[in-house]
Amino acid sequence: MMHAAFVRSPHAHARILSVRKPRDFAAQVYAAEDLTGVARMRSTAKLPGFKPSDWPILAAGKVRHAGEPIAMAIGSTPAEAEDIAGLVEVDFEALRPVVTMADALKKTPPFVHDDWGDNILVDIKLEGGDLAGAKANAVHIVERTFRMNRMHPLALEGRACLAHYDSRLDELVVHVAHQLPVPLQIGLSQVLGISQRRLRVIVPDVGASFGLKTYVESETVAVAWAAMKLRRPVRWIQDRYESLVCDANCRDYQCKIIGYADANGRVLGLECDVVVDSGAYSPWPWPAGIEGGLALGNIQGCYDIRALRGRAINVVSNKPAGQPFRGVARPLSCIGHEIVMDGIAEMAGIDPVEVRLRNFVQPEQMPYVSITKKTLDSGDYAAALKRAAELIDLPAVRARQKTHEPDGRLIGVGFASFYEQTAYGTGPFGYSAWGIELVPGMEPAIARLTGDGELILEVGSHSHGQGHETVFAQVAHEVLGIDPRKVAVRFGDTSSSPAGTGTYTSRSMVTTGGAIAEACRLLTKPLAVVGAHLLQCNESDVQIRDGRVHGPQGSVEFSEIGRAWYHHPEDLPANMDATGLTATAGHKAHDPGVFAYSAHAAVVAVDPEIGSVEVLDYAIVADCGTRVNPLLVEGQIIGGFSNGLGNALYEENTYDEFGQPTATTLADYTVPTAASMPDVKLDFMETPSPFSMFGIKGVGENGAIGPPASIMNAVNDALRPLGAAVFETPVSARRVRDAIARARAAGGS
Amino acid sequence: MKPASLSYARPATLSDAVNNLQSLADQCRVIAGGQSLGPMLNLRLAQPKHLVDISQLTDLRGASVEDGILAIGACVTHAEIEDRKIPDVTLGLMPFVARGIAYRAVRNRGTIGGSLAHADPAADWLTTTIAMDASLRLVGPAGSREIKVADFVTAAMETAIEDGEVIVQVLVPCFSPKAAWGHAKYAKKLGDFAQSMCVAVVDPGRKVARVVLGRRSELPSLLRGVSELVASKGYDTTSETLRSAIDEDLKAAQADRGDQTMHRAIVERAIRDLAA
Amino acid sequence: MKTLNIRINGQAVSQAVDDRLSLADFVRDQCLLTGTHIGCEHGVCGACTLLMDGKPIRSCITLAVAADGAEIRTVEGYQGDDLMVAIRKAFNLRHALQCGFCTSGMLATAYDVLSRIPDLDRDRIRAELGGNLCRCTGYLPIIQAIEDVHAQRSASAKPKAS
Repeated sequence: MMHAAFVRSPHAHARILSVRKPRDFAAQVYAAEDLTGVARMRSTAKLPGFKPSDWPILAAGKVRHAGEPIAMAIGSTPAEAEDIAGLVEVDFEALRPVVTMADALKKTPPFVHDDWGDNILVDIKLEGGDLAGAKANAVHIVERTFRMNRMHPLALEGRACLAHYDSRLDELVVHVAHQLPVPLQIGLSQVLGISQRRLRVIVPDVGASFGLKTYVESETVAVAWAAMKLRRPVRWIQDRYESLVCDANCRDYQCKIIGYADANGRVLGLECDVVVDSGAYSPWPWPAGIEGGLALGNIQGCYDIRALRGRAINVVSNKPAGQPFRGVARPLSCIGHEIVMDGIAEMAGIDPVEVRLRNFVQPEQMPYVSITKKTLDSGDYAAALKRAAELIDLPAVRARQKTHEPDGRLIGVGFASFYEQTAYGTGPFGYSAWGIELVPGMEPAIARLTGDGELILEVGSHSHGQGHETVFAQVAHEVLGIDPRKVAVRFGDTSSSPAGTGTYTSRSMVTTGGAIAEACRLLTKPLAVVGAHLLQCNESDVQIRDGRVHGPQGSVEFSEIGRAWYHHPEDLPANMDATGLTATAGHKAHDPGVFAYSAHAAVVAVDPEIGSVEVLDYAIVADCGTRVNPLLVEGQIIGGFSNGLGNALYEENTYDEFGQPTATTLADYTVPTAASMPDVKLDFMETPSPFSMFGIKGVGENGAIGPPASIMNAVNDALRPLGAAVFETPVSARRVRDAIARARAAGGS
Repeated sequence: MKPASLSYARPATLSDAVNNLQSLADQCRVIAGGQSLGPMLNLRLAQPKHLVDISQLTDLRGASVEDGILAIGACVTHAEIEDRKIPDVTLGLMPFVARGIAYRAVRNRGTIGGSLAHADPAADWLTTTIAMDASLRLVGPAGSREIKVADFVTAAMETAIEDGEVIVQVLVPCFSPKAAWGHAKYAKKLGDFAQSMCVAVVDPGRKVARVVLGRRSELPSLLRGVSELVASKGYDTTSETLRSAIDEDLKAAQADRGDQTMHRAIVERAIRDLAA
Repeated sequence: MKTLNIRINGQAVSQAVDDRLSLADFVRDQCLLTGTHIGCEHGVCGACTLLMDGKPIRSCITLAVAADGAEIRTVEGYQGDDLMVAIRKAFNLRHALQCGFCTSGMLATAYDVLSRIPDLDRDRIRAELGGNLCRCTGYLPIIQAIEDVHAQRSASAKPKAS
């Protein structure tokens, strides 16, 4: 097995003048022009004005972010590959980089993509309702500008791939840490020019992802190409430094939001201007314009707001390519609507919980089509918020705020109510609205009963910690009564898994779960036919439950059914379908999706001298419809909360004025630890969706969406007596100190 | 990343180690627990051709008290200090500081000598040993010498160590029974290097009053005005005099304006801790 | 290159190693014990934590040659160990792992903490786990699992009423 290491750009923006391979190892170094037969990787979207760009596998001509790969070195050990990479000499002509959003919004060079004439990837506008009327009737107008700084999904396992050419099958086999086996297979096939039937993608055990491992990566293409060329297995394992430099790629936003409310605090309309820094390139298949669109599409939250003007400008910059991360733009929307609510509460002298209650979409209004065309299907947002306030004992916290803390810290309370659109479909309200090249489609499942009466489920989604192996077995149990311990759930190999699209946007329980339920239902037919035959009764007289087929007199186990089909099909009745004990089914998701929701409540203590924030108490009331496995749901929410906590208080990829990343090790990039996690009070409501099988809703991103908003609101509640506020994530100690210093200088208390 | 090519040696005796260092000169680095050097090797920030492992040398392990000085072997680990496997002559200050260093897995290998030789200004031992007015014993080709820690570390990541020299002992003056110490630290998360740290040692029996501020990138500062005040007037932290003394000393130490309130708070808290 | 003589999970192992090879890479690539994981290679994330001479250490920043003569226990090496059986069962019941990448490091740390610290409470557990990062679980189920095992051991250590 050989190992790959990459020569990476030290510059954020530069022309490549020459690449000089080390004389003794020239045959082991590959630059862009050596990758023969590799097509360009172009990410497109049909959004009006979207500018497509090519994402180079190895940079040629110029580099567009620090860390961009320029050459690949192959060695017999990873260390040797790095030694060889270290000997490659590259001459650059440094160019002025586009680092900040202000840089990117200028109409003048430098341009990240020379042929664009600017640095605007796409400019999305959204309008609806009578905003002029809302403005005219507004009594309270709240205007806020906030920023979310770039962060990293930081899955604990980095990216990795191993490719080899199987000469017996004439097939390229690529093992890769990923969430989407089939889209990756399709993308690799297009770029490498190998037909899909000759390309097998195997996604084994993956050490988490959160959206990071969802695109076609340059390194995977290069390694796969090398495996074909060398006819030897080639492996690449990313290291953490590399990842913090090259994958630093999510949540880079700025937003100005204006809320127009009447005297009672009812929000009549919103205006919202978002800028998203999408980095240098647009990943395949998820183009970078998605974030801006999603930010606008969810900006009104759970509230009955009837007028909106929104604009999202996605810019490019000399930073790594933007990639969706758990929550995907919804944390931005959530901060937007939640700081407006708190702003109105303050201005109008209304309690922050009360102002939200006055604005929520009510259950009797559902299904409710929002101004952004989201169909809120079921739920009681008010009940969830009230319960969250109860869990943190809001009256006691308010009383405490009126007293003086012995340690001088300031206490604050903040809320975040939001929905999460999950499991949406292919149609105009779903993925195809983004106009992307590979619209995720229907989700399949194959159910096969074995000769000894146990069940194998083959699915197209991929489990990297979500516990699919358990919940999907539960679905089979629900339909067939089979013991879940007798069910094997298999996925992640394009040569045996049915062609689903993978795991993303909180859809697997609904879509794959739905497909499994249908496949198991289809299996009841051959089970009934064989069972009736063995029981010597009419097919119409049998029932399938408890993993057995029951007749008027007696029952048979699934193992007997299996034996009958696999060992003695000659004895079976003539009407037995030759397909036997295998069933394939698919699930078409309800196009607008199904809407989970949550209410978060945060209680914080802010140290006004150091600026540090401690979360004293946190409550989450979540409703994801029917919970198939409550323990797994809890795991998703608490885990998501820890990502949201990191987003709120700790995590930031920082850059200097030359576009150089400065948080390049875990010593600088701070991630929540067990010592930073508060206990979380978690409670559930279960309002089934009318639009999904079993009433299930997705839940994977729920926990991550709320904390930046709730914690920011809580910190600002604590700082209010000082006249200070922070509207930037992470809400670091330094930002809190600076805000307090500014307020003091401006004559605050 | 993987380290650049290197050759590893584990000499059997201290004099073998010193000889290796002298003959291999600047191609060579000492490695003890490897908790500071290991990451640097992996990031290729350090690319020594030779590593000389001194962590197992019995001369550098263990500790003994003589003439009012605790001599700690340079390769005693933070965990051994935390667990009080060596005598504690500091009324609990050293075990307390040890427990706050990074994480147990790091403390099981990281050494007090290694930490001081690495000279990261934010390291807990640096501020603490300066507050305790500790010294180091070094052994090299020219023999043995003693130097105050405060004089040994000359700049961030730089020391006065000569070619071929190895730190063999950290020498800590024993606290007298009526001594007191105070400690305060702010780090972004538990176990991180401090953004701000203060260790205060007041020992009337030895006429010692030292209040030292540790920061991320600058060397620790002995706050002279505050130290004098604390020695003479006691620990009334509500007094304006103390606050002004802190601000004066912070100005002298060229503390960043945006960090002013943080450092002041940490120094005040360390002094309050002292009084408690 | 050197010949490394080391004991891994109770077995004597003698292999040629590159001087610069980390203990983590040795255990994974040469001994094929891939339960130990590498998350950062700078000693912060804790995924590589294993026991050396009975103490948890970071195998990613430890050279294999520096471990010559040592006794190494990886996550594969606890067959029949009652404490580890109890820890694994508690992790299972509390859903204290999702993707599993941090888990071998968490188990080593949990094993050490439960063996070494008699008066464990929630806050102490939190502090002792501070050197093991997890991105999936949010830590609370891991803390709970360790609390469970501690409570079980404390209960069974109490003298039975006569």
